[in-house]
Amino acid sequence: MDQLPDSTSRGHTRTRSAVKATRPRSSTKGPLDADEIPLASPLSPQQAAPQGMFSVQHQQQQQQQQQQQQGGQSLRSPGPSSPHPRSAAQSPVPKRVLPPPPPKDFSYLLRPEIYHPLTPLNIPPSFRNSAKQPSPDTPIPDLLARGHFRAAAIAATQTLTAGGVDPTDYVRIFELLYTRLASLTLIDATALAAQEVKALEDLNSAFYVDETTGEHLVPWALRVLNVRLQAMGFGDPRRAVMSYYDLAREARAQLADATSRHDNSAKELWKDRLADIGIKVAGALVEMDDLTGAAHHLASLKDSEDGKMTMSKALLWLHLGDADAARRCVAHKSGEAAEKIVMALCDMADGEYEAALERWRELGEDLDDEMIGVNTAVCLLYVGRMQEGKDMLEGLVDTGRSSHTLLFNLTTMYELCTERARTLKVRLSEKVAALEETPDGWEKTNGDFKL
Amino acid sequence: MSHQRYPSHSDAVKEPHSVSLKVLRLSRPSLVTQYPVQPPSFLSAGGADIASRHPPPIPASLAYSPAVRTKLNSSDPEKERTTENTNPDAFILSPIVNLPPSFGSAYVGETFSCTLCVNHDVLLPGEGGPGPGQQKKTIRDVRIEAEMKTPATTTTTTTTTTGNTSTPSSGGGVTKLPLSPPSTTPGTEKGGGGVDLAPGETLQKIVNFDLKDEGNHVLAITVSYYEATDVSGRTRTFRKLYQFICKGSLIVRTKPGPLTTVGGRRRWVLEAQLENCSEDAMQLEKVVMDLEPGLVYSDCNWELRPKEGSGDGEMQKPVLHPGEVEQACFVIEEDGDGECGKGGDGVREQDGRIVFGVLGVGWRSEMGNRGFLSTGKLSTRFVKPRE
Repeated sequence: MDQLPDSTSRGHTRTRSAVKATRPRSSTKGPLDADEIPLASPLSPQQAAPQGMFSVQHQQQQQQQQQQQQGGQSLRSPGPSSPHPRSAAQSPVPKRVLPPPPPKDFSYLLRPEIYHPLTPLNIPPSFRNSAKQPSPDTPIPDLLARGHFRAAAIAATQTLTAGGVDPTDYVRIFELLYTRLASLTLIDATALAAQEVKALEDLNSAFYVDETTGEHLVPWALRVLNVRLQAMGFGDPRRAVMSYYDLAREARAQLADATSRHDNSAKELWKDRLADIGIKVAGALVEMDDLTGAAHHLASLKDSEDGKMTMSKALLWLHLGDADAARRCVAHKSGEAAEKIVMALCDMADGEYEAALERWRELGEDLDDEMIGVNTAVCLLYVGRMQEGKDMLEGLVDTGRSSHTLLFNLTTMYELCTERARTLKVRLSEKVAALEETPDGWEKTNGDFKL
Repeated sequence: MSHQRYPSHSDAVKEPHSVSLKVLRLSRPSLVTQYPVQPPSFLSAGGADIASRHPPPIPASLAYSPAVRTKLNSSDPEKERTTENTNPDAFILSPIVNLPPSFGSAYVGETFSCTLCVNHDVLLPGEGGPGPGQQKKTIRDVRIEAEMKTPATTTTTTTTTTGNTSTPSSGGGVTKLPLSPPSTTPGTEKGGGGVDLAPGETLQKIVNFDLKDEGNHVLAITVSYYEATDVSGRTRTFRKLYQFICKGSLIVRTKPGPLTTVGGRRRWVLEAQLENCSEDAMQLEKVVMDLEPGLVYSDCNWELRPKEGSGDGEMQKPVLHPGEVEQACFVIEEDGDGECGKGGDGVREQDGRIVFGVLGVGWRSEMGNRGFLSTGKLSTRFVKPRE
């Protein structure tokens, strides 16, 4: 068996499959399946097992090893028999005295071919040619702080692939990779992110666990983002639900651990993360169009103190069309802004746009909120007062707002109010390009202006 | 291109119109989805304890900026504290809405709404503006007429009569649509309903139409206006047609059957299968019978389920995803003491059949869009009551 770490080994697909456990239900060939990728495998079973480790994942790997020996490529075939979902990779492994393991090699994430070029062609000229475009040597934190996410995505890739990153410096690699993927989702390039994320393969694999501390090497935020992106990339939305449950299981274990250690800050952290995952599951169900499933799931979650859970439930009912159920959600919140917002949305759902307009107006007197402004303007269009709505949205842009929704609704109104909407759209894009650069994002795409 | 619309000399009849018509189908606005992501650790470098806290999502990943600023004119410091984040920023749905992005599908039983915008188009300063040789035009007395042409042959005469309108639809025809809001715009009113449009101004109207038939519909809009220059004037008219196909969204199958007589009253069971044949999920709001005189019914469906408390334990109305079927059932019986044929309130029998009445189904789809349709008269063969 020639499966000791060997960065020059080529074609040992068995080794790689064994180390980086299979993806469930995936029939797509990932970049790491290609034969020419050198990949060290410090965690190969042969190496780990004799050292007295008999944690679950190693047993599984041995099983895989056997399967491979018997069935060649059988592990590649999708099937529920994958050992991965029950993998205990994330559970803290008992401390033990061992010589420090060799550092892991993440050079497979530094290959330029993983990353797609980002075209500037979908950027309106007003942004592309703006003096605000950052210079290529702007540091990534500055780019992010000023909302230059496309530039940040490019810079992250350049740093990763330029050869200056130590392949074993996983902290930096994952930080850059997360910046890359998160930025892509912010510039309407989620589809690209869903392809690039495949390079990570299975984050539940033992390869991603520090065998000394048992901690996962990948930052939580990247693991969470990875779930949605991989589900998209592999075209299997159900997978997201399952993967979130994997993360939730780990969060629960960490929470229990923190509680037993009386580590309050860790406890709060894992509590928040667990709650977040709970809501993400509902989101995944909504994306799968399983709205009733999402409603049942949300109903099983505890209401948060800030009222966001109540709002989420009400919005889900509205999305499903059940305005009465949405109203019931906020019935006990009378007087609060959340109740007024839901009631206004319910009026819109009932087709009572005049009544909704009244409510939005009232809300707008107390709160200076982009959502209230946009929704008021939309109601104005539905009652035949588009001109006022358009003025209102332009006013929001003047105060520095520039959400996709605001721009979409405003350009839709431009399309209605003249045959030559293009001029107005271009002018709007110039106005938005002149806005201050904020972390909310500065650069917009042609799609934002329907150009 | 835009210059062609404003030739420097008026060129008789072929000259393009000075007003344009734009339309948008007003389906319900939709809640905007958002995909919150946590800020990269680069961003919170100052916060140091990134690993020990769960940061809120990066604002750029949300549907709208969560920053809430109170109005500055308030000098009350208490006011400052009432601000709250209106966005449930961990969730996929946000309360901000988008206008309908596209026409979508039109289904029998729904109300079709559409906004019509008649615009006095002018060149904007950036486009060169009206040339010196160009005559200034005044647009007066703009009128809009809207008609809906429905399919010539109505194949579904028995299934589609919308309950919430009074206009009876005869198979195939043209319906004139009322425009809302009614033309009472102050100031601009002149000469019997027409409206004057200043350059750049828009006249917006909304039409509603209850879709009752499957097949081709044509929304025909006629715009007429008086175009005046300094030296002359003329009335101009144009017409635009918008065609769309209306599909069925619900298939209703019914099956009546006799039940044993109770207390001399005849009873029947009526089973109904409701199949969602649209492309969207729908929630059944009500499934009710509208019976002929002399009959009563009891509902054996979800309406019966107990409404416990007023919290989340409320009864759940059935949701039908595309292709799904919900079964409904009713027990129909004779009213009164069952002496059929006695007086005028007996059960109506026709050609050896007992006519029950109609079944009405009301539903709601995304963002509360409503639909309603009722079946034709349902009946069963007369069966001698079993004693």
